[in-house]
Amino acid sequence: MGIVVENPGVLTTVQDGGRYGYEQFGVSPSGPMDKESFQIANILVGNPRDLSALEATMLGPTLRFTQDNIIAVTGGDMMPLLDEKPLPMNQAVLVKAGSVLKLRAARNGCRTYVAFAGGLDVPLVMGSRATGVQNKVGGLEGRKLAKGDEIGFLAPKTSLPRMAERRTDHPMPAGKERVLRVILGPQDDAFTPQGMDTFLGQPYNVTNDFDRMGCRLDGPVIQHKVDGNIISDGMVTGAIQVPTSGLPIIMLAERQTVGGYTKIATVITADLPVIGQCRPGDVIRFQSVPVSQAHQLWREMQNRLNTLDQTLNAPAPQAQPSVQAHQPPVYPETTLPGPVRRYRITVNGKVYETSIQVVSQ
Amino acid sequence: MYTLHDVGDQALLVEFENEISMEVNRKVVALKRALEEQRLPGIGELIPTYRSLVIHYDPLTADLDQLKEAIDQGVKHLDLSSLPKSIVTEIPVLYEGEYALDLEEIARIEGKTEEEIIRIHSQSDYYVYMLGFAPGHPYTARFENPFSFKRRETPRVRIPGGSIVVQLGLSDIIPFDQPCGWNIIGTTPILACDYRKKNPFLLKAGQWIHHVPVDKAEFMDIKRQVELGCYQPKTYEKEG
Repeated sequence: MGIVVENPGVLTTVQDGGRYGYEQFGVSPSGPMDKESFQIANILVGNPRDLSALEATMLGPTLRFTQDNIIAVTGGDMMPLLDEKPLPMNQAVLVKAGSVLKLRAARNGCRTYVAFAGGLDVPLVMGSRATGVQNKVGGLEGRKLAKGDEIGFLAPKTSLPRMAERRTDHPMPAGKERVLRVILGPQDDAFTPQGMDTFLGQPYNVTNDFDRMGCRLDGPVIQHKVDGNIISDGMVTGAIQVPTSGLPIIMLAERQTVGGYTKIATVITADLPVIGQCRPGDVIRFQSVPVSQAHQLWREMQNRLNTLDQTLNAPAPQAQPSVQAHQPPVYPETTLPGPVRRYRITVNGKVYETSIQVVSQ
Repeated sequence: MYTLHDVGDQALLVEFENEISMEVNRKVVALKRALEEQRLPGIGELIPTYRSLVIHYDPLTADLDQLKEAIDQGVKHLDLSSLPKSIVTEIPVLYEGEYALDLEEIARIEGKTEEEIIRIHSQSDYYVYMLGFAPGHPYTARFENPFSFKRRETPRVRIPGGSIVVQLGLSDIIPFDQPCGWNIIGTTPILACDYRKKNPFLLKAGQWIHHVPVDKAEFMDIKRQVELGCYQPKTYEKEG
């Protein structure tokens, strides 16, 4: 077994990296609102980064374990208690069957992740275990957790190598002010110069209309040249829609796949965790950056995650490679570089094609 | 010819003419096919809409210059004649009683009999411009406005999945229960989205649908087959 939900909290869902490949059919990708914290939790417990874990919102759940497993809690600080004693965040911990994990109200941030070694056992739907609450798909019957729910572990563990090192620092930002860096467009030309100045110069408040679909902001009206309507086009996570009202809406994990409102800018991918951890009342300022800078910031974030993953989870040097049987033969030097060999590997139900080539010996 | 925009740091948007027409939409479908066939490294999902294509990419593995060049070449050599023959999917529709809540009102607004309204709705194919809003939800239209009415004055809070709703030249299949302000002309027993299936989606952008009137007995029979998962929608290649 795994965990029994004694108290579901406000909005607790099973998430994984997201459901990709079905947007052209109208399926929202879903996935975690703060993917960085989510992936850190999985790395800490030795999982592939996008494996199924829990996302809790504002007020967390109380979970009773019916089987031993190693867990890690990351993201917003819900002051977790394990059997009534404070549980350190951002650290792998062995939890024994019968123990109770209680997450409380978030002291900072908005969303907290609980990863379990081996992941959570809910059915794969279109290649993903992520819950889409709006689409009623994935996770536990396409809905948030409810009292009495039971979720099994896929492959629980009672020990992991380097257990003492499985901790990191990942604090939530202090204060209420946040800067979101954006790429302008694709419909920035639908706004007057004054409208663009307002958007980039004025503060916006996060309202209570903030869910997994999107975040409505309140502040000075952004002036259109005509109005906020376009022929509906495709959407990405982080798109900032400005309908004719002139007030921006940031589209998030469970956004619709198409939209008919002007999009003034898009939050860069590296800053999506920032908006994912905002709380109603926080104040946002937008800053325009070039695409090249956004790519650099994304690369730096991936490098940090890779470093943590390799430090904790790289196979020990004496371990035998598990794919030894499929290793290509060694080619004589005269044939360098060697022929390209293609392999299909299946990870989390997704099929990847990978190619390898001997380039030096 | 086309304009290219960044959509954040992991997607591009290719826009064709700013209009809703099959000519423009077929360019979108053709460019999508051309890019899919090239299988460039680091390219993610392609999302076609009325007049534009969103192209997701992974900045760590995609070569953005190569992608932009492929888009440019793709647009320059767009070959609409090479598009495969369009598929028409038949949508059985029961236009009756509680399954066609607004049929009577539609007939009254249009000054026609219910039989005439049914004949008008089922005589022409509708083109599927794109899917969106909800999983499997098609945006479909034909090229004249058979009806004069738009939305209802007050939207309904919830209409059942399977409802066929219309306004002007548009006709949509509602996949799941949802709020809706359109008039309900009938109900189909088949599912626009069935998560039990390997490919859950009935339709795809660039295809066509044709509504076929069925009676209550046929409706219930198809509904049973759909529930058992053994119903095969009728499809055929579009003429001409």
